[in-house]
Amino acid sequence: MRGAAKSGIGSKLLEVRNLEVEFDTYGGIVKAVRGVDFSVDSGKTLAIVGESGCGKSVTVQSMMGLIPIPPGRITSGSALLRGQEVLGDTIIEGKEIRGAEIGMIFQDPMTSLNPTMTIGNQIAEPLQIHRGYSYRQAFNEAINLLDMSKIPEAAKRAKQYPFEFSGGMLQRAMIAMAISCKPSILIADEPTTALDVTIQAQILDLMRDLQSQTGMAIILITHDLGVVARMADEVAVMYAGKIVEHGTVEDVFYRSAHPYTLGLRAAMPTNDPANQHQLNPIEGSPPDLFSPPPGCGYCARCPWAMSICQKSHPEHYYLNSGHYSRCWLHHNDSEIKPNQLSFN
Amino acid sequence: MFLFGLKRLLQGVVTVWFIATATFFAMHNVPGDPLLNERAGSEAIKANLESKYGLDQPLSTQYFIYLRNLSRGDFGISFTQENREVNDIIREHFPVSAILGILAIVFAATGGVLFGALTALYRNRLPDYIIMILVILGISVPSFVIAAMSQLMLVGINNMAGSTILPVAGWGTILHMLVPALVLGLGTMAYLTRLMRSSMLEIIGSDYIRTARSKGVPPSRIFAKHQLRNAILPVVTVLGPSIAAITTGGFVVELVFAIPGLGRYFVQAVQQLDYTVIMGTTVFYGAFLVFMVILVDILYGFIDPRVRLEK
Repeated sequence: MRGAAKSGIGSKLLEVRNLEVEFDTYGGIVKAVRGVDFSVDSGKTLAIVGESGCGKSVTVQSMMGLIPIPPGRITSGSALLRGQEVLGDTIIEGKEIRGAEIGMIFQDPMTSLNPTMTIGNQIAEPLQIHRGYSYRQAFNEAINLLDMSKIPEAAKRAKQYPFEFSGGMLQRAMIAMAISCKPSILIADEPTTALDVTIQAQILDLMRDLQSQTGMAIILITHDLGVVARMADEVAVMYAGKIVEHGTVEDVFYRSAHPYTLGLRAAMPTNDPANQHQLNPIEGSPPDLFSPPPGCGYCARCPWAMSICQKSHPEHYYLNSGHYSRCWLHHNDSEIKPNQLSFN
Repeated sequence: MFLFGLKRLLQGVVTVWFIATATFFAMHNVPGDPLLNERAGSEAIKANLESKYGLDQPLSTQYFIYLRNLSRGDFGISFTQENREVNDIIREHFPVSAILGILAIVFAATGGVLFGALTALYRNRLPDYIIMILVILGISVPSFVIAAMSQLMLVGINNMAGSTILPVAGWGTILHMLVPALVLGLGTMAYLTRLMRSSMLEIIGSDYIRTARSKGVPPSRIFAKHQLRNAILPVVTVLGPSIAAITTGGFVVELVFAIPGLGRYFVQAVQQLDYTVIMGTTVFYGAFLVFMVILVDILYGFIDPRVRLEK
């Protein structure tokens, strides 16, 4: 399997370092992504979690060259795919990044497919572009891909238009399209948000199956912690344009260290009958990214905020080799220790 | 698709019947009598016409005679021009109007789509500003002003060249058609440009264009395969009414450029209360427009699969 052989530090499939993205708007400059680091390995799934506007979509779209420039601008950082710089470049090692190296699926399959083009043609398109397939070859491969995505009667379906498909089927077709050129990474930007719950599970299972077949890495962007628990190997929690906690899914869920992660977990509904209390929302709203605070972005909403939190941003505090949290509570001088934090 | 066409055709026939009926009763409510005119023919002609159209009979009988003739494709004989059948007038002069109109529509549609797409792709940059200023001029200046000004310009050009490069008026060769068709199509082109621009801007920001970019589709192919076909849909929708606007607008342009089209007879007939010519040309124009709109509807079905499958 391509890229899967290498492992260890420095040989990750994709490594993003200190990515910063800004947008010029009428109101001023929005600092949407303020220094993001993460990496992902072949065959693994990284989930990027955070609320709306925290910069998770911008992070991946800037890698794909999908943010409009101008008004968008990548001010610093790098993203290395197998050691090659991706930012600002569309082709590495003779292969196009978009479509061939990285496939992407989006939130709303209903609007993400061209309404006047057959599903088969849309899936065949990247094969024609990146592989030089003839129209007929590409269309036949598109039928195979639909079949792989578990769409019944694929040959007939390929000739149909998006309006003849249901939402779940469209997302399957989107996945078939994204993996058509066997990309090494699949970016799924809230792939199940627009679908109902039973379909959500099917789509996630499909992504998992295809991952085990092809060995591709998945970057999953979501705000649904249930989806994260089901899919992810690693989790990056984003808040106000920064990653505030990062670790394996067990670390982040069972040994949550950042107050924001704790807040998210407390806000999740539970089906424990002994625990039928009201949900605990996180009060307040995220900071204004026109003028991001000098300190921790979360301090205005944090019940344990200290005076230092407003002044400067905390560094990475590693709790174990892969698990870090960016919170002053981990500092030696802090009176409260994060493992003592609880909402109950 | 066939059923769809048949259904629209039947609807069209009903529409034409409405037009015919409305024209008939409107005409008969206009005061005056073409046969009392000093230019009217002899007593014998008058008597013949009265018996042929039942003019001495009640209105309802006249209406049925009219419908019966109409269903046979007989528009009757002119009341004021001796021995001219309305069918002959249409046969002789409609092709001229039709060629002018079709040329104008082709010009308006291609220009509108092209300039609209261009302005959208160069949004808020120089080409956009220049074209949009011209568009506002094209929409707000009436066609007879542009017609007269273009004639003035042609005179100037011909004078400078010392010979006739493009004729100022008249009809006959393709050179005669060029400038009138341009003038006639200009307003519609300006309108279509604006429509295409806004439609294109909407498409450029749409999710499926982002999907296409994420697939690595090159910009030229995105434009041709993803943007154009979707952006053109609203333009095709208004193409039917635009044809109506162009053919009726054609009367004025035909007059200014001295083109022997149907428009002149239409206006003349109204002034002289020539019942049969008025009714004949109106119904004919109505039927033509209805047919064009149906054609556009069917065309729309080919471009947008969502329309095609609605039975």
